[in-house]
Amino acid sequence: MLEIRDLHVKFHNRDREAVAGISLTIGDGEIVGLVGESGSGKSVTAMSIAGLLPRKQCDLSGDILLDGEDLLHAPRSALRQIHGRKIGVVFQEPMSAMDPLMKVGEQVGEVLRIHTDLDKNQRRARVLEVMEAVDLHNPEEVYNKYPHELSGGMLQRAMIAAAIVIQPALLLLDEPTTALDVTIQAQILELLKKLNAEQGISMLFISHNLNVVRKLCRRVAVMQRGVLVEEGSTDRVFFDPQHPYTKRLIDAIPTRHGKETV
Amino acid sequence: MKYALKRIFMLVLTMVIVSFLTFLAFELISGDPAEAMLGTEATPERLAALREELGLNRPFLVRYASWLAGFVSGDLGVSLRYRQPVWDLIAPKLEITLCLCLASFVLITAVSIPLAIWSYRWTGTVFEAVRTAFNQLCMAVPPFFTGILMTYLFGIVLRLFVPGDFPDLHTRFGEAMVHLFFAAVCLGIPRTAMTVRMMRSTVISEMQKAYVRTAISRGNDRHAVLTRHVLKNSLTSAITFLGQTMAELIGGSVVVEQVFGIPGLGRLLVYSISTRDYPVVQTVVVILAFWVVLAGTLADLINQQVDPRLRLGGAA
Repeated sequence: MLEIRDLHVKFHNRDREAVAGISLTIGDGEIVGLVGESGSGKSVTAMSIAGLLPRKQCDLSGDILLDGEDLLHAPRSALRQIHGRKIGVVFQEPMSAMDPLMKVGEQVGEVLRIHTDLDKNQRRARVLEVMEAVDLHNPEEVYNKYPHELSGGMLQRAMIAAAIVIQPALLLLDEPTTALDVTIQAQILELLKKLNAEQGISMLFISHNLNVVRKLCRRVAVMQRGVLVEEGSTDRVFFDPQHPYTKRLIDAIPTRHGKETV
Repeated sequence: MKYALKRIFMLVLTMVIVSFLTFLAFELISGDPAEAMLGTEATPERLAALREELGLNRPFLVRYASWLAGFVSGDLGVSLRYRQPVWDLIAPKLEITLCLCLASFVLITAVSIPLAIWSYRWTGTVFEAVRTAFNQLCMAVPPFFTGILMTYLFGIVLRLFVPGDFPDLHTRFGEAMVHLFFAAVCLGIPRTAMTVRMMRSTVISEMQKAYVRTAISRGNDRHAVLTRHVLKNSLTSAITFLGQTMAELIGGSVVVEQVFGIPGLGRLLVYSISTRDYPVVQTVVVILAFWVVLAGTLADLINQQVDPRLRLGGAA
């Protein structure tokens, strides 16, 4: 459903290409992990899919197709119809990714306000339903809270709710668990799995943490300095890494009993 | 609500302190008002009699208490110069000055917020340079100078009002407002320019924040991002700034009133200072202080309504 073909991104103020020709596909209902260290270009890849790169400050080439629709070269106005409606994005820091002065419920329902004809009550009903689906208990109460009144974990659930409220085809998750503590991380991963299983949303999960990716994704792509160095099923990449960079990443995972051996 | 009560209590407390300091200061700097009224050739008997009449022989704290009590009940004492109750002297002037300041404030607010947003949109276009230059100009030219230009243009050439002849506020309200309008514009220009500049840079820094990216990812266009998210987030600093503006307008009005010949508080104050009419000066100082403190309190209370994070006991 999502197809990235030979994507290049170069920022005008940098010498090196942030993304230097990557190709990647995500099938229907698939969760693909994209891993790499900071600066490897994984977030830039996600931002180009979401149309969030400042076009005036970078050169883009290649193709990004979502169900055959061009996402990279279409005019902004056409893209706005796709963003939010077909692609939901969840960012790293839920606290700063939310508007501090808007009620959480309204933010979750914002996509509906922009892309549907639902009236206020219908939107509210849908928002409460989605909040329930992401395991936010007391949705009525959460609806009227402001971001600073919720914990990081609850906010990230609300962000996920906002991203899926309109049932998009693709969910982009840019380090969604990095800012959360470990127990909350595990809960969020469970939630994502559940949403994938129940609603069949495809996901691109971006993380620098291979361990997290392993818990969630069946397929993983490894990025280094703007290129994909390895791609394959998570198990294969994990137990039989081909590229030295992947090996180093795996070796860097701390384990409970010293180094994990196969 | 609790926060509002706390703020109002602080306001009252500040006013008590201000009034005490004012009273103390005038006690120290004013010579003998009786002597000032009667001149140096007065007989000691007449001076003593007048001092008795004015209550100048009572201890300091007693006089402060009775002055404060009088202030609260609306009895502000008698002007030494006019031999009239201070309140009767001040009230009509205060009315005019308040009209002037409020008109100016409304103009500043109504003009600067949309202008700030436009000027943000002009970033990177030809308009930006023009705007920056114009903005600098507006800030640099003092109100009395624009005042002189405006009295000439609108008063003498176009005859929209008669400079120096201020119509009675009650019987010729419309004409008085026209007169005040030009003065208000004059008074407001530099502050409008400052508000625009301040607010524009707030909008620019808000646009860099992560929630803006989220809003764009949901399919908001630039306009919706600005009006639905960024504007409200930029508002708190604008409100604080506008609160300071409101406080400063009353000071700036003194000069503008002179230029436009408006019989407001400023004129009375200048005259009272030069004639050592201390009861009048004292009252005006307290009224000005009250205005400043009130402006700050209002700004805080409004901000607290805009930003829920400030509602946590006012700690932030």
